[in-house]
Amino acid sequence: MIKYILKRLVMLIPVILVTSFLIFWAMSLTGGDPALQIAGDKATPEQVEQIREELGLNDPFLVRYAKYMAGMVTGDMGQSYVTKRDVFKTFMERLPNTLMLGGAAVLIAVLVSLPLGIYTAIHQNTWKDTAGMIFALFGTSMPNFWLGLMLIIIFSLTLGWLPSGGKTGFASLILPAVTVGFGLAALITRTTRSSMLDVLRQDYMTTARAKGCSEKRVIYTHGLKNALIPIITAIGLQMSLVITGSVLAETVFSWPGIGRLVYDSISKRDTPMVTGSIILCSVLMCIINLVVDLIYAFFDPRIKAQYSKKG
Amino acid sequence: MNEDLVLQIKDLVVHYETEDADVHAVNGIDIEIAKKRTLGLVGETGAGKTTTALSILNLVPNPPGVIKQGEIWLDGENVLEMKPHELEHMRGNDVAMIFQDPMTALNPVMTVGDQIGESIMLHQGLDKKAAFEKAKEMLKMVGIAESRAYDYPHQFSGGMKQRVVIAIALACNPKLLIADEPTTALDVTIQAQVLELMKQLIREKEMSMLLITHDLGVVAEVCEDVAVVYAGRIVEKGTADDVFNHMRHPYTEGLFDSLPNLKQRGEELVPIQGLMPDPSDLPPGCAFAPRCPYATEACTKAVPALQSVEGSATHFVACTAYADPDFKLRRNRDGK
Repeated sequence: MIKYILKRLVMLIPVILVTSFLIFWAMSLTGGDPALQIAGDKATPEQVEQIREELGLNDPFLVRYAKYMAGMVTGDMGQSYVTKRDVFKTFMERLPNTLMLGGAAVLIAVLVSLPLGIYTAIHQNTWKDTAGMIFALFGTSMPNFWLGLMLIIIFSLTLGWLPSGGKTGFASLILPAVTVGFGLAALITRTTRSSMLDVLRQDYMTTARAKGCSEKRVIYTHGLKNALIPIITAIGLQMSLVITGSVLAETVFSWPGIGRLVYDSISKRDTPMVTGSIILCSVLMCIINLVVDLIYAFFDPRIKAQYSKKG
Repeated sequence: MNEDLVLQIKDLVVHYETEDADVHAVNGIDIEIAKKRTLGLVGETGAGKTTTALSILNLVPNPPGVIKQGEIWLDGENVLEMKPHELEHMRGNDVAMIFQDPMTALNPVMTVGDQIGESIMLHQGLDKKAAFEKAKEMLKMVGIAESRAYDYPHQFSGGMKQRVVIAIALACNPKLLIADEPTTALDVTIQAQVLELMKQLIREKEMSMLLITHDLGVVAEVCEDVAVVYAGRIVEKGTADDVFNHMRHPYTEGLFDSLPNLKQRGEELVPIQGLMPDPSDLPPGCAFAPRCPYATEACTKAVPALQSVEGSATHFVACTAYADPDFKLRRNRDGK
């Protein structure tokens, strides 16, 4: 198992190489001269040229990339053009906010969707099922920036219960977390329902009933644990959306997370900040995927056996 | 209810009601099983055997399954009138079931020890740890090393899994064991082992058994009594000797004719012509009539009732042809 984890961590290296190259390349193609932006409107061509020389912008693309990667090995991901601050540090300062928002969103989603998914599965083809599925359809089809705006209108502007944005303690977390969590809940509800429906038909459920298990025990002890694998997969896949795709929610609620950081950096052509953030996000995603895979092993002994075999 | 009977099913009717069709799976089955006796329920796939078995535990999946009428008496109590907690108490404790496919009958994410222990825990009030210890004993009883209680189903072969399923079923010493084609999914060599094990355990624990199978060899091996089912009705029942050596129903004869015979190698098998009728569209009268070589017009008029064969107390047949006192099956002619 430990061997497996190490192997997966080593596999991060090629992932970082490829993503960083692609991002670096894409950023070099976007055009626009950061030197001009840094120097400001009144700078002379000589000053601009000097800044370019300082930043190494005159080097060929591959040289710049090599220099960048050499810096990254030592933990130096460059400085923001705009704020002059260290990229890695800035990212790490923002990361907890995004993790907090993502964590809260996932928590809300799981708390709503697991019970709802199981409930609709048990009452398949009744009005209860239909009502649950309408809710889920609503959730998946509603754009979350719009939901965010509606929530602000209702709970901040009209009722005045919750702050409309910023990070000012627990209350300010609720609206963005609900916004991100709602779409997620809809998706997990559907996955839970279909996974549970599949499990309910399995022979071992009849075995459990024939043993004298109560219906509750059959569903929660025998059913849920088997149904969890696809559910965890769905949550794991959605984590990428939660972490990197919360740009919209973070923008709507001015939440100081990574999504907003990347958004701001792109609009200011802050190349080192964008490149660094995206590389770090891809590393983060790899780690989350690894954690999801490890959670599988915890729930399914067959997968655990596979990991140890492949070592 | 007769004191000596462990199970008595009276006029059981089970339908599967879907939007497209009303499937008549079981159409009035009567079964009795006495103490320490083993009854073989024989019939083709789709004859209603498994539905009958699930009805005994009141586990017919609903929807679409509906038990339309009938009584199922276990120890003076009608299963069909039991409340949920009474059912839970009965299942696994008084009546246990072995399923056809051991590959899918075990929960893949629970250790076999926990799965065996669960029913002990539920019915004997032991805590999880004590139940697990007892589960190990059960494993030993079915010929599996105790140390394997910590393993998961995917670590066992098919035959071993079926042994685990048997251990689960026998964990609480049920009075009646229902075995639904327990050897069908196993290799022939393993089949014999598993059957032998079941026979031995049933004798030791003085249980009764309802063995569901389409394999007449298995019936001959294990059962004292036999009931032949066709399209949800019993067409012939009696002791194994009655049915194997003095069969009366044309369908029973057809079943035996389609068995290969070692003594007459090279002789072609005689399959029963045609297919079993669609249970959502049963023919009027005797359901076997369209395939029966002896059928007359009278057969399509009314469903024949089970009647005693020549006044026998054990042997019954449901066939219109015996209205003619001289009627004999082909096998029973030539002075047999």
